[in-house]
Amino acid sequence: MNKLKAIFCIIIPISLAFLFNTKIGSAPPVLKFLNPFMGFWQNAENNHFMFNHKVKIKGTIDQVEIVFDDKMIPHIFAQNDHDLYLAQGYVTAMHRLWQMDFQTRFAAGRISEVVVSEPARESDRYQRRMGMVYGAENSLKGMMADPKSKEMILAYTEGINAYIKTLSHSNYPLEYKILDFKPENWTPLKCALLLKQMSAILAMGSDEFYMTNILKKFGPEITKNLFPDYPFKEDPIIPVGTKWNFTQLPIPKTPESFTASQTGDVRTKEKVEGIGSNNWALSGSKTASGYPILANDPHLELSLPSIWYQIQLHAPGINTYGVSLPGAPGIIIGFNQRIAWGVTNVAADVLDFYQIKFKDSSHNEYWYNNKWNKTTKRLEVIKIRGSKDLIDTVYYTHQGPVVYLQKSNFAKANSVPVGDALRWIAHDRSNELMTFYYLNRGKNYNDYRKALTYYTAPAQNFVFASVDNDIAITPNGKFPLKWKNQGKFILDGTDPAYDWHGWIPASQNPTVKNPPRGFVSSANQSSTDQSYPYYLNWEFSPYERGKRINDRLTAMNKATLDSIRLMQTDNYSILAENLIPAVLPLLNPEKLNATQKEALSYVTKWNKRYDADEIAASIFEIWTKRLAFDIWDDEFTVKGVPMRYPSRDRTVEMILKEPAAKWYDNVNTSQKETLSDLVNESFRYSCDSLERRFGPINKDWRWSNVKQSNVPHLAKIPGFGSKVLQVGGAKSTINALSETNGPSWRMVIELGKNPKGHGVYPGGQSGNPGSKFYDNMLDTWASGHLYDLFYMQTPDDQSGKVISRLKISK
Amino acid sequence: MVFIVIVIICFLLQMIAPWWVIIVVAFATCGIIGKTGKIAFWHSFFAICLLWIGYSLFKSLPNDNLLASRVAVMTGVKLWWALLLVTGILSGLVAGISGYCGYQFRMAMLAKKTDDKIA
Repeated sequence: MNKLKAIFCIIIPISLAFLFNTKIGSAPPVLKFLNPFMGFWQNAENNHFMFNHKVKIKGTIDQVEIVFDDKMIPHIFAQNDHDLYLAQGYVTAMHRLWQMDFQTRFAAGRISEVVVSEPARESDRYQRRMGMVYGAENSLKGMMADPKSKEMILAYTEGINAYIKTLSHSNYPLEYKILDFKPENWTPLKCALLLKQMSAILAMGSDEFYMTNILKKFGPEITKNLFPDYPFKEDPIIPVGTKWNFTQLPIPKTPESFTASQTGDVRTKEKVEGIGSNNWALSGSKTASGYPILANDPHLELSLPSIWYQIQLHAPGINTYGVSLPGAPGIIIGFNQRIAWGVTNVAADVLDFYQIKFKDSSHNEYWYNNKWNKTTKRLEVIKIRGSKDLIDTVYYTHQGPVVYLQKSNFAKANSVPVGDALRWIAHDRSNELMTFYYLNRGKNYNDYRKALTYYTAPAQNFVFASVDNDIAITPNGKFPLKWKNQGKFILDGTDPAYDWHGWIPASQNPTVKNPPRGFVSSANQSSTDQSYPYYLNWEFSPYERGKRINDRLTAMNKATLDSIRLMQTDNYSILAENLIPAVLPLLNPEKLNATQKEALSYVTKWNKRYDADEIAASIFEIWTKRLAFDIWDDEFTVKGVPMRYPSRDRTVEMILKEPAAKWYDNVNTSQKETLSDLVNESFRYSCDSLERRFGPINKDWRWSNVKQSNVPHLAKIPGFGSKVLQVGGAKSTINALSETNGPSWRMVIELGKNPKGHGVYPGGQSGNPGSKFYDNMLDTWASGHLYDLFYMQTPDDQSGKVISRLKISK
Repeated sequence: MVFIVIVIICFLLQMIAPWWVIIVVAFATCGIIGKTGKIAFWHSFFAICLLWIGYSLFKSLPNDNLLASRVAVMTGVKLWWALLLVTGILSGLVAGISGYCGYQFRMAMLAKKTDDKIA
């Protein structure tokens, strides 16, 4: 009896220890997490006292001094490049370790190692099968081949690992404690993975599966009519009429058999509008100071910790300030004493699918060039927390990985006889780091042009301005040499004529320097007019943002910081300007109820701005979305055959110019609908849905309330994201801010004897939700203001406020 | 006495040891110097409850409870001080139960010895 009691007295405490030390479901180990000595309370940073620190890192060559300004932005002063990038790695890890770790795990398809869920496993499989690790490995070879980028990446890795070494459980970043795992050492491959992930975000969207289905359903004529090769309205990046002064390479012949063949069930994510950006540069002739002004705001899926990390890098031969990506050395968007640069995405078609004919179900051989060729196999081992590894075999043809596999453990694969191989630029060996290495140190236009030659993917519109009063823009990347429309549909993988045929020479990428109009700009629209001899893509982002930017800049003279800043938050909608005069007269007021009539008067009086308080913007947005749905959905949504709608540009063209098009009729009803019917239905639908949500028209109908912009946490942890922000902007306006997608960094640089930088991002320097620097810039960003960037000349520069210092020595 | 001993030993040990030393310390202390079951439970409970609340406040107050408020939303208790109470009560309960078990363990062993002697 007493023995039993004694045993119980031991078992109970041990079970308690076990129970509260174990992660159950998605909940962290309860007492391990609540323990104030090592758990989450330790991540509460002191808001009121900052201390200076010193650390010794073995690998450093000389003393490094890091100055943190009042927004916690580090300014690194090193004596050589090695120490500079080592220190960049160290401070970035200090603020953003978990973010860097998680993003690269995600990219590498390793989320299942820390999070157990079906979506995590699916995501891991997808990442592996798309060849993310394969691409990163190739890319790393390219980076390691150049001694400069090799030094950069190794020193950066060294710095991150030096920081990880200083950590014990009590000071692990918070998310490690919540998800209950440990930081692992950084490797150069992770830098490559991070850059690949940027390619995946910006250049992995693909419509060719949808397009192929559309071609099969509607035939070539209608497909060409509804999905034209050049937009109806356009205002291209390289001004219309710019001459191409190069001798062009011969364009590969379009194969005669160019009709899309049957296809397997390949699906990549659809291109999402909003992943886009704006940049522009004004020459001194259009500014008050007489020197150029450059502006950039890259739009991405917003998250906390912030996507970007501000930093200043100072060493002999370099003094540059801007934003970096946590996980990659150097500065991506920024400025130095003499030049400034920025980027927006180019929607070039650098991802194609090939229909593969396998000999048999072993997939060891495929038909190509009139013979059987061997595939190669790559085993992807997905480690899963708390259970056994999942092994995935991916077959590679000469084009790339066959994304969709026929493996017994994928039920879906059984019904699919053939897979498609993916040819993607991001699988190629490349060295993007060198572009930034040279831009960071660039002094003039020639340095800019040289830097661009190193760049592969994701293709970007590189805007440039220098103190010498040069401005330029170049849609730049490594572009495959294609016949027209190659890759608009799924390609035949058996015929060499469908392969990529070499590359457009970097020097022949579209570019313009000092155009007569006095400015350059881009907003992801078509790179050129139709005179450019090479094929880049058949569809780019809609032209509205670009058009508005160009209209504003054309009208602008004696531009100042404020005029540019206000432009970045411009909410004027060109779409509304184009559509409202066409659809408003079609509304029949007699058929509207009281609320709808009132809504109509709001829209009639609307200034066409998506400002936060505009009620008309909410009505218009839902109205036009619904209108597109009414026009296209009956034909383009077919169960089991994924397709997409024709573009917004084509829809607008049809509404303006083809009042009798057959597409207005709803094929699912017996009567014949007209455009006017649809306009009325969609308007009533818009008003009714708003009324259902918010009651009769009141201030809850305002655009910001309907839109609910916010910045969520990277892993969507509740409480760690931002509150709902009362801000305007929409996808088709310069201020392209939708629910969670928008300007991830706003920057304006005034060049001159001493450059003046201004910038802000929706978040803060620190990745720690327990730091006041986690989201301290959010309100400034939401209000459309910018901070003055503190471009220091020496560690003792008194022009800004310093809150702490960190000295690194060996 | 039990209260003071647990507070001091746990405070020092927790600087380096994982959280579950509170179980070991409460068990051992009460197993050695616990006078009654009631004392073993309540002294252990209050020792750890107050130690954890105190130390949490030491970290959280200079942070203006910014982090605690966010984590409170994450865990669903909504208010930062509710999270603080959960921290204190849960850890206190675990320590209290462990202390009580420690005391009872000694009683069982003593009883066993007496039983052995009689036998």
